[in-house]
Amino acid sequence: MTLVLHDWELSADAYRARLLLGLLGLDYAKVPVDVIPGGETESPAFRKISPSGTLPVLVDGDVVLSEIAAILVHLAETRDVACTWLPCDRARRAACLQWLAFALGPLRASDAARDTAMFEHGGPWREPEVMAHRALRVLEGRLIRQALQGEPFLVEGGPTLADVAAFPAVALAVDWGETLTAFPKARLWTRTVRALPGFVTTPGVPEFL
Amino acid sequence: MSLPLEPAVRDDWHVLCRLADLAAHVPAGFRLLAHDVWATRDAKGAVSVRSADGRALPVTLAYGHVFTSLGAPARPLFAIDEVAEPDRRLATCGAVRVRASGLRLVENFLDMAHFPFVHTDILGVEERPEVPRYDTEIRWDVDEVWATNCRFWQPLAAASSRGGQMSEYRYRVASPFNVMLYKTAPPDPARFDVIGLSIRAAEPDLSFAYAFLLLLDDATPATTLIHFQQTIFLQDRIILENQRPRLLPLSPKAETPTRADMSSVAYRRWLKAKGVRFGVFEAAP
Ligand SMILES: [Fe+2]
Repeated sequence: MTLVLHDWELSADAYRARLLLGLLGLDYAKVPVDVIPGGETESPAFRKISPSGTLPVLVDGDVVLSEIAAILVHLAETRDVACTWLPCDRARRAACLQWLAFALGPLRASDAARDTAMFEHGGPWREPEVMAHRALRVLEGRLIRQALQGEPFLVEGGPTLADVAAFPAVALAVDWGETLTAFPKARLWTRTVRALPGFVTTPGVPEFL
Repeated sequence: MSLPLEPAVRDDWHVLCRLADLAAHVPAGFRLLAHDVWATRDAKGAVSVRSADGRALPVTLAYGHVFTSLGAPARPLFAIDEVAEPDRRLATCGAVRVRASGLRLVENFLDMAHFPFVHTDILGVEERPEVPRYDTEIRWDVDEVWATNCRFWQPLAAASSRGGQMSEYRYRVASPFNVMLYKTAPPDPARFDVIGLSIRAAEPDLSFAYAFLLLLDDATPATTLIHFQQTIFLQDRIILENQRPRLLPLSPKAETPTRADMSSVAYRRWLKAKGVRFGVFEAAP
């Protein structure tokens, strides 16, 4: 079954999906969507596959998903037989979901700050840079505590969906002028994620951080 | 309180927005050269632009964009003859916001030396970083800067590329904030694709870049073409946002030129001769 990803290179959420597809070693077809300037996500045809106009959209046979959380969980549940990315162990799974929700919640302020910095009309967030810094401090604190346990990732025992979901928000922060000098553990963590087999990059991810 | 603008900038044509971005009868506000301007499109598609003090400003619609001027342009908007060719496609890429002088954006556009390192494996490869000698000239009769006989090995020169090619380039700076390049068209190496970059200089250190394509490629979906250009420009944007000063220094000793920088040297000399100051770095005396 061919996976299809309705994609836009510049979208942080689309990059989250491409990153997991790469880490899982999956082949998929890309359908480019003209988000800016074309506004294709507002079109009736696109709204049929994405009711609220969110991107990316993953089509897996009869399954059509337009929320990034659902896309990541679905790919892990159906394609990750080793239970790496969404752990089966209850404690690790709980921690993974906790940090996945954080990455797709408060940390998304970094995506919003990026949209505001790159385009004339940013999103609906107020003061996204302030919110993003707050979230980056939370992330840094978690990574410091993990490092004290000898754990390089957000969840003990290896990389999970939480790292995949958080990576674009952190690595693309340079697009809104945040070079992470005050977040040394986050910088180190981005290098660890970059070294994972199957890692794929996107324009904006610094070569050396 | 707005700064007095020098004639070379005030009386020039500047891009305001894409034509498609204006909804009928809904005035849209834009920042241009540290001034507020308002654009309105009527039901028939005619566009009017007004300054904050109510003056009607000149308007030219071309290449999918609205161009205007805060002064009285002495000449029409730059002409790109290829636009009339029946097999050309126009694609507009939208606006990208950059915290840098618009002059820096034009200079980056003229620079080939960064291809292998910034657009790695797309517009250049790290194994072939050298920029072969090319020619630059300031054409005073038409008041433009040209760089010709530019050649560069490119693994993925365009969205339609099937493999690497020795791309031939000609750069043309048609006015301080409007630049374009003519580049070997992968589907027909005897002819040139045209890629235009028009900058709306909102403030001296804040710019909106509008790219447009006049391509011979008729097979690649427009969205793919646009995404290709957006990817390239995002890579440039990071470099541009990190350049200091954000404004462009024109003094010859500010940054030492190498041979690859010859087009940049000509561009800066020309800006200086024209008396351009908006977006120019002026060191404290
Ligand atoms: Fe570039």
